[in-house]
Amino acid sequence: MLEVKNVKRSFKSGDVTVNAVDDVSFKVPEGQFASIIGKSGSGKSTLLSLLGALDKPSSGSIEVDGKDIAKMHDHALISYRCQKIGFVFQSYNLVPNLTALENVILPMEFAGLGKKERLERGKKLLAQVGLTEDQMDRKPGKLSGGQQQRVSIARALANKPKVILADEPTGNLDSQTGKMVFDLLHDLARSENTTIITVTHDLSIAGKTDRTFQLIDGKLTEYKK
Amino acid sequence: MNVVTRGIRNAFRNQIRTFSIVVILGLSVGLALAMLVARQAVTDKISSVKSSVGNTVSVSPAGARGFEGGGTALTTAQIAKLATLANVTSVDSTLSDRLTTSNSNLASAVDAGSLGQRFAQNNGTSFSGGEFQGQRPSGATSGTSDSETPVMRTFTPPVTVVGTTSPTKLSSSVGGGSFTLKSGKTFSATSTENVAVIGSSLATKNNLKVGSTFTAYNTSITVIGTFDAGNSFSNNQVLMPLATVQKLSDQAGAVTSATIHVNSIDNVATVTTAATSSLGSAADVTNDSAAAESSVAPLENIQTISLYSLIGAVTAGAVIILLTMIMIVRERRREIGVIKAIGASNIKVMLQFASEAVTFTILGAVIGIIFGLVAGNPITKLLVNNSTSAATTATTMGGPGGFGGRGGGRALRSLGSNFSTISASVGWDIILYGLGVAIIIAIIGSGLASFFIAKIRPAEVMRAE
Ligand SMILES: Nc1ncnc2c1ncn2[C@@H]1O[C@H](COP(=O)(O)OP(=O)(O)O)[C@@H](O)[C@H]1O
Ligand SMILES: [Mg+2]
Repeated sequence: MLEVKNVKRSFKSGDVTVNAVDDVSFKVPEGQFASIIGKSGSGKSTLLSLLGALDKPSSGSIEVDGKDIAKMHDHALISYRCQKIGFVFQSYNLVPNLTALENVILPMEFAGLGKKERLERGKKLLAQVGLTEDQMDRKPGKLSGGQQQRVSIARALANKPKVILADEPTGNLDSQTGKMVFDLLHDLARSENTTIITVTHDLSIAGKTDRTFQLIDGKLTEYKK
Repeated sequence: MNVVTRGIRNAFRNQIRTFSIVVILGLSVGLALAMLVARQAVTDKISSVKSSVGNTVSVSPAGARGFEGGGTALTTAQIAKLATLANVTSVDSTLSDRLTTSNSNLASAVDAGSLGQRFAQNNGTSFSGGEFQGQRPSGATSGTSDSETPVMRTFTPPVTVVGTTSPTKLSSSVGGGSFTLKSGKTFSATSTENVAVIGSSLATKNNLKVGSTFTAYNTSITVIGTFDAGNSFSNNQVLMPLATVQKLSDQAGAVTSATIHVNSIDNVATVTTAATSSLGSAADVTNDSAAAESSVAPLENIQTISLYSLIGAVTAGAVIILLTMIMIVRERRREIGVIKAIGASNIKVMLQFASEAVTFTILGAVIGIIFGLVAGNPITKLLVNNSTSAATTATTMGGPGGFGGRGGGRALRSLGSNFSTISASVGWDIILYGLGVAIIIAIIGSGLASFFIAKIRPAEVMRAE
């Protein structure tokens, strides 16, 4: 269960204060697939980084499994990000000089998993997202955008997170590849009972999720189909 | 794969950059090592020069050195006062005298040679009036009016008797050298017996060995030991207890030279001043340390120069790594954010970058060590030659010792030649130093980078590129 209550995040640039996320409250039960739509600059990425503990809210609370991450210390936040959250970014954000497999193994290393275990799990995850053995040993630069996003989905799943946060995961892909990547995310999350919150521009993608929220100037409303 | 291996691997991500950094670092580490080598060599030389000069102060009667000059002998009472001065560990006193054919049966082991003949041709003036007691072989014309007729006398250098409180330390005012006991034993400082330790050539010449007796001051003296001083002048000497010589030669309480041993080389100047004021105009108090000080001054300059160059080279290396690491951290800002976002702590990211910095510097150190090994010695020589050539010529002075022997002159000559024998030793310790320097450079260099790493907010990965 993910419960967000009256969360605000404001940025000060000079004299102006921008309320990127303005008094947002919502609940997402475990295993639900939710999407957030909104114009550019409406605060989608900011909200997602608050949920993923990459940033702290100016006020309000974010409860995951009954614990308020807004009140956690830095050390606890690191292990929260590592154990509970999986990120998928629009621009993949793979480490360029590590192979696909090494990229997937990285979060498991941070979580303290044994060498053999993480190698096995890494290979299994990459096979699940549809990479061949040969592609696993390639560096991101030698993989297509779609393949890179698959690797990043495998990386997000590495530590069996409670929540996957995806910021426009199909934004850099053509619509066909985008659909494939989205379906993959959907299927994997379903089978692992992972909560997914994805930001998207694509209403056809948003239409396939369990529910959709809309952000307008930092304010969140449930979007009726 | 772990934090460290990732760091090492990252060091080779940009090969051209890695190559340039490693070469520049290599030069700075190499220069640091060369300076360290030079500094070590020079420091060793300074301490060896200082200790070769010794922490002693020489005291002689005013105007007298050995048998040259004149003046009045010092007294045992005056010397006793010196022993009570601060920082003085001990005082050795000697009374030197010459045996004559009339009071001794010893034959000199040294031939006159052309130098000795110079004195013989002196028309006798400087040695007349009973002052000169040089031995004359039995065939020589003695007693004839030598002051009127400029005869060519056959001159033999006399046998010197040194009454001493410290037989194992040969006074530089009468020959010097380092004492090695060849047979028998020596006497104690306070001995009053009629015994002697004689120089090896004198023993051979007169067929004397331990237990033999000879005549001096018309008294029978027993040989209790023989010694080798490493020089012919001292090996032609008889060492006897101070008190014995004072008594036999009718010079009660007289002392012709004293050596004050000071507890530390740094106190030599103070003791010299104290001894001078204690003895007043009765004595000449000298030490070699002033000369040693001025002759090691250029070396001390090199010491300073090499220290600053060492610090400079290490700093330069650290700055290179510092700038490189800051550049790399800025370049990989996003990647650092991602790693943090997927669960790395600041410490882990810092460790990864530190091991990258250490990789650079270790590669640099390898090149630097090779450079240091090759260039250390030539650089040391270059530094030493450039700044000591003036000093070397200035310190080479003083002719043959003559009767008196000029300890100072000898010491300075040896200092002069010391400079050319400085050589830098490069061994395993230098390699370890090199690696140590590299690690220090890496730590300083990646310190500021770590600060930037800690400041990177993981939320930045959400921002579009
Ligand atoms: N670090 C920041 N500093 C200042 N303003 C920020 C920062 N991050 C986001 N903003 C502002 O917050 C608003 C929301 O941004 P963002 O969440 O990136 O929007 P979206 O992802 O919906 O395009 C924007 O007006 C943006 O300029
Ligand atoms: Mg965004």
